[in-house]
Amino acid sequence: MVEKSKTTAVHSSETVRKIRFFSRNIHDKANKAKAEGRPVAYCMGGCAYHEILEAMGVTSVYTEHYGGVCAAYRVSEPYLIRAESEGYANNLCGYCRNTIGFDIVRQELGHMPEDAPDGGIPAPDMLLSCSAGCDHRYKWYQATGRYWDIPTFSFDVMQIPPFDTDIKAIKPYVMKYQVEQFQRLIDFLEKLLGKKMDWDRLAYLVKRGNESLWTWYSAYLLRKHHPSPMPSEDHFSAIVPAVFDLASRETLAFYRELYGELQFKVDHNKGVLDQEKYRLLWAGGLPPWHTMAIINYFETFGAVFVMEASDYGPWPFFDVPKGMTNPLEILALRTWCQRVEYWEDAKKGCGHSRVQRILNRIEEYDIDGCMMHLTRSCRYQSLGQIHFNNLIQKYVNIPLMFMESDIVDVRDYNEADTKRRVDAFMETVDSFKRKGGRQATARR
Amino acid sequence: MPVKKRVGLDRVQELYENRDMRAKELKAEGRTVMGYMCCLAPLEIMSAAGIVPIRILGNVKEPVTRADAHIETIACPYVRSCLDIALKGKYDFIDGLVVPHTCDNTYALYAIWSSGIVPITPKYHHYIDGPHMTFPTSVEYFDVELGRFKESLEEFTGNKITNQKLTNSIRLYNRNRALLRELYGLRKQGPPLLTGTEMTKILVACRVIPVEESNELLGEVIAEIKNRRAIPTPKTRLLVYGGEIDDTALIELIEESGANVVVDDHCLGVRSFWHDVQVDKNLIHSLGARYILNVACPRTYKQRERGYKEAMDNRFGYLMEFAKEYKVKGVILYIIRYCDTFELDAPGVREYFQKAGYPVLHIEDDYSVTTIGQLKTRVQAFLEMID
Ligand code: SF4
Ligand code: SF4
Repeated sequence: MVEKSKTTAVHSSETVRKIRFFSRNIHDKANKAKAEGRPVAYCMGGCAYHEILEAMGVTSVYTEHYGGVCAAYRVSEPYLIRAESEGYANNLCGYCRNTIGFDIVRQELGHMPEDAPDGGIPAPDMLLSCSAGCDHRYKWYQATGRYWDIPTFSFDVMQIPPFDTDIKAIKPYVMKYQVEQFQRLIDFLEKLLGKKMDWDRLAYLVKRGNESLWTWYSAYLLRKHHPSPMPSEDHFSAIVPAVFDLASRETLAFYRELYGELQFKVDHNKGVLDQEKYRLLWAGGLPPWHTMAIINYFETFGAVFVMEASDYGPWPFFDVPKGMTNPLEILALRTWCQRVEYWEDAKKGCGHSRVQRILNRIEEYDIDGCMMHLTRSCRYQSLGQIHFNNLIQKYVNIPLMFMESDIVDVRDYNEADTKRRVDAFMETVDSFKRKGGRQATARR
Repeated sequence: MPVKKRVGLDRVQELYENRDMRAKELKAEGRTVMGYMCCLAPLEIMSAAGIVPIRILGNVKEPVTRADAHIETIACPYVRSCLDIALKGKYDFIDGLVVPHTCDNTYALYAIWSSGIVPITPKYHHYIDGPHMTFPTSVEYFDVELGRFKESLEEFTGNKITNQKLTNSIRLYNRNRALLRELYGLRKQGPPLLTGTEMTKILVACRVIPVEESNELLGEVIAEIKNRRAIPTPKTRLLVYGGEIDDTALIELIEESGANVVVDDHCLGVRSFWHDVQVDKNLIHSLGARYILNVACPRTYKQRERGYKEAMDNRFGYLMEFAKEYKVKGVILYIIRYCDTFELDAPGVREYFQKAGYPVLHIEDDYSVTTIGQLKTRVQAFLEMID
């Protein structure tokens, strides 16, 4: 039987520990903006508009983020139930149900709910959504519009193209449309706010945003080291600045500090665990914010999630072509490069870019086992996991477990069952490792 | 003795029961048959290439047993059903698969079905990226996607899709739409000349045969219905709104409980055929505009220009018009579980109708005869409440 480690001291990142304050600060900034009469928008991650809003003087409140925060504090349940009592199905995105419920409760109370984490989020002055990724992203605020009768705007942001797309053929018109969609958002904001876009400021913010993303990306390359300097539980906190506060100075400072810390740990061979026995990959799905401690349970076996292959990851480097000065083009190019990051590799490899990302990371980060979190209320991140596993196993024989619960809804989580699955999985990982570890299969 | 060709409603029944019958015959005659998903697939282009497009239907009667090895149980059960019956060989005869970007579920389904690691991957597969927005530039974007789709079909079939062929094809489909609208018109009167159950069968039949045959069949059906003596008994008139309804199970249950389903908006119904394609100079653009601007699917986003009330009128006013025109007494929302786009709209749609004085029954279902069967008491109670 696989042994549990005697000591399970986990050396988390000092930099990441500050995220609690960082996150709190994001909500403080928003509440302050509201109090001072500056415009506040409800927003969604992945819409690639953070710098645009910032340059227009709009303070963003990411409602997914707040859903995660509420889940982490385990205060979501009444909000979820409230949304469900309005007819919103209990399998709709947990972030969405949480925030719709929160909005209703706040309106009914006439003030912020007392237990609202981070002092709550301010009432929005506008709702800004987009079509990137999942269906909730453009539908959610249509529903929210029942409770907030305020200006609303949605625009298209490109998806990850299906695996068999000829990306060279689509790039010109996808990029053109993307730039045009950003411009439409700006038109909407200019009209609403009665002021013009400060293009120089936008160019400056986009440049800084790129630098933040690239610093983040570089930092994560250091996680290839044995022992790994940073685990996935830290990663899921470290995403906060980039995903929900990309344009700020503090964000760049945060990733620089993180880079420095990880470099120091690598130089001094300081790992997450004193004895790193198994290296795991978080191969898909979003985190169970309500029970992040489950990741520590893996650590009791000496297993560390050294890397992730989920969509909440650092965005890749890209060259800004000489002469490309329009910040909207740069934003479009950034989005494009993230969506097609593993395309070329996939063409030579398994054919599917999201699976190729997993396969590459298994090799590059020297992985012993993979885990995917099937998030019951998120189809976008969960559908395909079984298929991905089927495809992965054609190329490499590696243990993979599915954990089932939800991002927000703790009612979908069964601790005893999850731990039993982890126990069985760790047995398999251990026995694989004893027999020489993962094996490339014939097709590779 | 030669077998007598079945016509009209008799033929409808035959096609409803044997949905792949005609496609298989045509395939044996050398025709190219392609399966497509959802209301966003531009059938006109497929037919113009000489292809027989048939709609991928699920099967509410068939328990899902094979699909679970490939797709998660939190997928839309209609999508799971399609994959399941495909894995059981039900769609073995298709030469190609066409999936427009509808929702997260079809996106995932496409990746599996065309992956090549399942035995059902057809020779040809194509994904059409449909924008969610409805700006003029969104339509232009879709035009480019349609143009690429057209080229890829030309390459696959070796048939050039000329303007003339496309024009003819559009005309055939517009004729099909006009006939279906005429048929719907026969349900306006009280009692309606045909039942919702009959209409469901007709809609299915029309989606599994070539458009020319569908037009012929509809002609026969209309003539037959106009002349029929025994008309349905007048009962509570209802509108059914929702996702995929490709079996009579639900409609039959509603009608057996004492109602006439007189109008609908679901994936095989009004949503798929109500609006024509304009025949003008830029045919691809006419198609793009029709599919992006006129298919009232919740996956397509209409900007909210003014307040919430106006936005709802803008999005669902057409449905309210149907309710008035067809003099319905109540509305049933048939929402397939895990279909996020419909589920997010449903409470708003319910409220919209209730405020206008219509009783609404909001059903969330698993797209299965077993779960549909369990709805009987709720439907009966709803009808009693209306009466
Ligand atoms: S990707 Fe999933 S978790 Fe995120 S907003 Fe969409 S449905 Fe919710
Ligand atoms: S019923 Fe809904 S989830 Fe299912 S395929 Fe249709 S739109 Fe997608």
